Amino acid sequence: MIIPHPLLGPRDAAEFVYKGDASLINRPDGMTASDDEMHDYAYLRDNPAGEHRELWYHEQGDRSWLVVTRNTMTHDITYVELARDVARASGRSR
Amino acid sequence: MTQSHRIDGGQIDRSRSLKFEWNGKKMAGHPGDTLASALIANGVQLVGRSFKYHRPRGIFSAGSEEPNALVQLRKGAAQEPNTRATTVELFEGLAATSQNHRGSLEWDLMAANDLLARFLSAGFYYKTFMWPKAFWEKLYEPVIRASAGLGNLSGQADPDSYDHGYLHCDLLIIGAGPAGLAAALAAGRSGARVILADEDFVMGGRLNAETHEVDGQPGADWAAAAIAELSAMDNVRLMTRTTVYGSYDHGIYGALERVTDHLADAAGKPRQVLWRLYTQRALLTAGATERSIGFGNNDRPGIMLAGAVRAYVNRFGAAPGRRVAVFTNNEDGLRTAEDLKAKGIEVAAVVDARKGEYVLNTVGRRGLKSITLSTGPTIPIDCLAVSGGWSPNVHLTCHHRGRPVWRDDIAGFVPGEGLPPGMTVAGAANGAMTLAAALNKAHEAGASLASALGAKGNAGDAPTGSDENFDATPFWYVADSKPRAWVDLQNDVTSKDVKQSHQEGFRAVEHLKRYTTLGMATDQGKTSNILGLAIMAEASGKTIPETGTTIFRPPYNPVAVGAFAGRARGKEFRPTRLTPSHHWAKENGADFVETGMWLRAQWFKRSGEKGWRDSVDREAAAVRKSVGICDVTTLGKIDIQGRDAAEFLNRIYSNPFLKLPVGKVRYGLMLREDGVAYDDGTTARLTETHFVMTTTTANAVTVFRNMEFARQCLWPDLDVHLISTTDGWAQFAVAGPNSRALLQKVVDDLDLSNDAFPFMACTECTVFGGTPARLFRISFSGELAYEVAVPARYGDAMMRGLMAAGEEFDAVPYGTEALGVLRIEKGHAAGNELNGQTSAQNLGLGGMVSQKKDAIGTKLSTRPEMNRDDDLRLVGFRPKDKSILLTAGAHFLNPGDPEDMAHDQGWMTSVAYSPELGHSVGLGYLKQGSERMGETVRAYSPVRNQDILVEVCSVHHIDPEGVRQRG
Amino acid sequence: MADLDFTLTATPLLGGAKHQIGENQIVERDDLALVSVAIPLGGDAAVAKALKSGWGLTVPEPTVSSVAQDIRAIRTGPDQLILVFPHTTPDARAFVQAKIGEAGYTTDQTDVWVVLEISGSDTLAALERLCPLDVARFAKGGSARTVMEHMGAMIVHLSGDRFLLLSASSSAQSFLHAVELSYRYVTG
Repeated sequence: MIIPHPLLGPRDAAEFVYKGDASLINRPDGMTASDDEMHDYAYLRDNPAGEHRELWYHEQGDRSWLVVTRNTMTHDITYVELARDVARASGRSR
Repeated sequence: MTQSHRIDGGQIDRSRSLKFEWNGKKMAGHPGDTLASALIANGVQLVGRSFKYHRPRGIFSAGSEEPNALVQLRKGAAQEPNTRATTVELFEGLAATSQNHRGSLEWDLMAANDLLARFLSAGFYYKTFMWPKAFWEKLYEPVIRASAGLGNLSGQADPDSYDHGYLHCDLLIIGAGPAGLAAALAAGRSGARVILADEDFVMGGRLNAETHEVDGQPGADWAAAAIAELSAMDNVRLMTRTTVYGSYDHGIYGALERVTDHLADAAGKPRQVLWRLYTQRALLTAGATERSIGFGNNDRPGIMLAGAVRAYVNRFGAAPGRRVAVFTNNEDGLRTAEDLKAKGIEVAAVVDARKGEYVLNTVGRRGLKSITLSTGPTIPIDCLAVSGGWSPNVHLTCHHRGRPVWRDDIAGFVPGEGLPPGMTVAGAANGAMTLAAALNKAHEAGASLASALGAKGNAGDAPTGSDENFDATPFWYVADSKPRAWVDLQNDVTSKDVKQSHQEGFRAVEHLKRYTTLGMATDQGKTSNILGLAIMAEASGKTIPETGTTIFRPPYNPVAVGAFAGRARGKEFRPTRLTPSHHWAKENGADFVETGMWLRAQWFKRSGEKGWRDSVDREAAAVRKSVGICDVTTLGKIDIQGRDAAEFLNRIYSNPFLKLPVGKVRYGLMLREDGVAYDDGTTARLTETHFVMTTTTANAVTVFRNMEFARQCLWPDLDVHLISTTDGWAQFAVAGPNSRALLQKVVDDLDLSNDAFPFMACTECTVFGGTPARLFRISFSGELAYEVAVPARYGDAMMRGLMAAGEEFDAVPYGTEALGVLRIEKGHAAGNELNGQTSAQNLGLGGMVSQKKDAIGTKLSTRPEMNRDDDLRLVGFRPKDKSILLTAGAHFLNPGDPEDMAHDQGWMTSVAYSPELGHSVGLGYLKQGSERMGETVRAYSPVRNQDILVEVCSVHHIDPEGVRQRG
Repeated sequence: MADLDFTLTATPLLGGAKHQIGENQIVERDDLALVSVAIPLGGDAAVAKALKSGWGLTVPEPTVSSVAQDIRAIRTGPDQLILVFPHTTPDARAFVQAKIGEAGYTTDQTDVWVVLEISGSDTLAALERLCPLDVARFAKGGSARTVMEHMGAMIVHLSGDRFLLLSASSSAQSFLHAVELSYRYVTG
């Protein structure tokens, strides 16, 4: 596969490490989250046949974490963002 | 031996002769020959035995679709079985042998199988060898393996080398026949960056095998001119001997280039290169493959595809027979007759199925002697050219699950929906079956793809070729033939087998393939799939499209496993990482061990030491008695800087880090988000905003990755920056009561007294008169100890300097084994204990999980199940009988309990012989272990045959109060 | 106080290797220092200013390094760059920090990497066996971090058929072997 890196252009997926569902960005605050919320965050993932937002790490590259929107049926990649931007946009900060 | 069947013409270099050996017989051919054409030129018809029935077989095709002519090429370790003689380029000294026979090729003892054919039909495998069960492994399988099958492996390591590579282009054109050349000319002239790949060693495809004209010149001449024009273009790369075998995601194609296979001596170069091609667009111009017709005994040596007969006659100047007949259902058969006549070869009959004439049967066990026609006569001949029509080579269009669609007008499948994104198909591969149509369509495709890719040049005019008649009338097999009619020559599948498969309910195409083996093995049914399908369709009373089609997976043609491995063999399987003191260690008797990619000294043997234990015991004892030095560079090191670095660490480690003072080191424990402990190490604070972390050797990469995740994805607005500096610093543990005295001689102007530089202190300093260094007072051994780091380039010198400074203390270098002994004696957890299941509680480190902050894993580590009072706890063990050595992996049982999992009390994780204590010591997980000090339990290891009593004790086998390390 | 008459001398990772393969050269550049500069959160402008005033350097683009006199800046991440310059004493970090002050966080990476300068007419062909990137289309100064023969690597286009290759210092020998073999496989 080729991942179009938003800063570096198309790069072979072999340079990346896969993590999984981009919902892993949405970590609850451990001091206030309920057990169930933390459990769901740590263990539950969607497994869609179709469009999936997922985290890839450019380990053999610029060490960016990316959010890649990929169709799991066709491997079509429709959108790639820096995970840091996604995290900020979803309200994460410090 | 003379080349009895060599005729005039062809693209071979008659000025040079190449000697080769076939089954030990010396023969000669010419540059430009394949092994198959050279064998034909030498009058050889019988080249192998069939897979199941051991029927004599001859050369059937002139390309990679060959089902019969599989040979063993080369000798000794380089011997390669199942090589298609039709694609092997002749070279001086080539040696090949036939395969799959016992005794000689001419008198194969296994040919008796043919007489048993009645019992060996489709599915015999599943029916015959059902019982008794024990017979399978002992009798059936060895016998089947010995009798059925293809060639033999040499049994030796592959002596050749292979390589990988990466290429980039705008447009990949797959196949350099007329269509591929026309497309490449158009795209190349337009200025696009083109790769044109073809598996043959000469480009031109069928143009070299036919007598067509293009632009008024003989086709082969036009092809040569096209190749010359393309060669001169900087933007075009021509790759011969290169099979594009697979289409992968996002325009990536796999290709195998046979770099030196055609040379007698590879001269140190790789035999083959596996290319990964990155393409914007791809154009498949792979042409079409001719198929056969089913009729009685249609598998005899001398029966060939008509197109192959033309290839041997026209391209190679080799006559497959002296008296030839043609059996055809299309115009190609007639063309064959014309070409043969033009070469002065006698054409005995043209049997045209469209006129209701058929070949019913053939005679000639080791070479065709005659054919019997449906119209009555028996005609003596030595070669029969058969054409059942052409099937477009749609293979690569299926690699993303595209399904070909049937076209009645050409009686073949053409690419359908679901092509790999970016792929276009042109020429015969796309059903443009005449030369004129193929040239036209491909030129148009090449030009428009180039233009779509932004190339602006002039594509020029499409070449013109003859628009010959392609009148395809489906005719699959001769129903009136009594003897067996072969469908798949390679797998010995007959028309009867296909019908039987239908009868027994295996009617889906995929079932047909698995039940009969139709279309399996090296040729993947290139010449047989459609015929099998047509017979199944007829048996089902359905049309071919209703019956279905097999689709294709990579690879298009077989690829050697060695090519996939590339250079990654033996020592080159992965990189080797060396510590800065590696050369010194080598000079000083070190024995090395692989830990991940690192080579580490595991002990330093001294003269007189008989086994590794002698060395390890001496090293461990010397550390406790005086001082030892160990290269610990392999520990992961991460430079952490930023205004929020402390806050960040406080969220990464389960224990508090916010208030770690400058100049101090703290031990830290990392949890996974699910609360399981996964790494530990020390982190030093050099300045307010600058920390240096160490991780375990094994987890250095993972920890870094996870911290980047936390930094970018969880807390994107913390000002913190990570840089891996593992390789940057040569780091040495200096441990033992004399470590301070030793280091005091090494460091410049630094007071190392306990008050000035206490336990867990750290500083940046210089050593040996000015070399920058970092000093940490940390201890993995429990002794007074330090770790000192210098820039890696000084590592070798530093090791020598430390040893020189330690001479007066009898300082010893120690390796990973002694390191392990010391840490087990002291009760420090390591990889054996951090096994991916253990919580901080299990480790006895529950107190290190601060509940006052939200660090990774804190929340889920508080789950009740991970905090049960009766859970496993890490404790120490010593044998009741001190003379016995403990065994890691032993399970604990209460004395008197049965040896089963229901009574399992835990297991021993690490053991070592303690020279300090004079007996074996262990660490392990024991249920409620921390409350069972002094108890006796059984350590039971059925694997190692040990069943002993051990006493539960503190993990700190030595100095439980920690006096030494703080002294 | 160090009371030994002993000073530490640096050992080049590959012994200062110079290899000639056909028309091509592989040279270990142990004369170069590498210091990374991490850009503090919100500190891009300050780093740009510091590079400008320190050396006249511009902040490098993600895929193209910038050069001023004998110092080169390579972008290694969205908030990180690395400076490469001739300097053989182990005080490169202090040298950089003195010029940029508080503008960025510096880390001496000289010892983290082995640096090879490769050149010669077979270089692009050798790189085809080694590097997954389209180096033939690199702009002058083009730079990237990637993987070669399972080893993390950096590649910088210097000029024509001349490149810098960087990889982890601990596996320097494996890396040199991979580069050498690539040349040997495509030369003569």
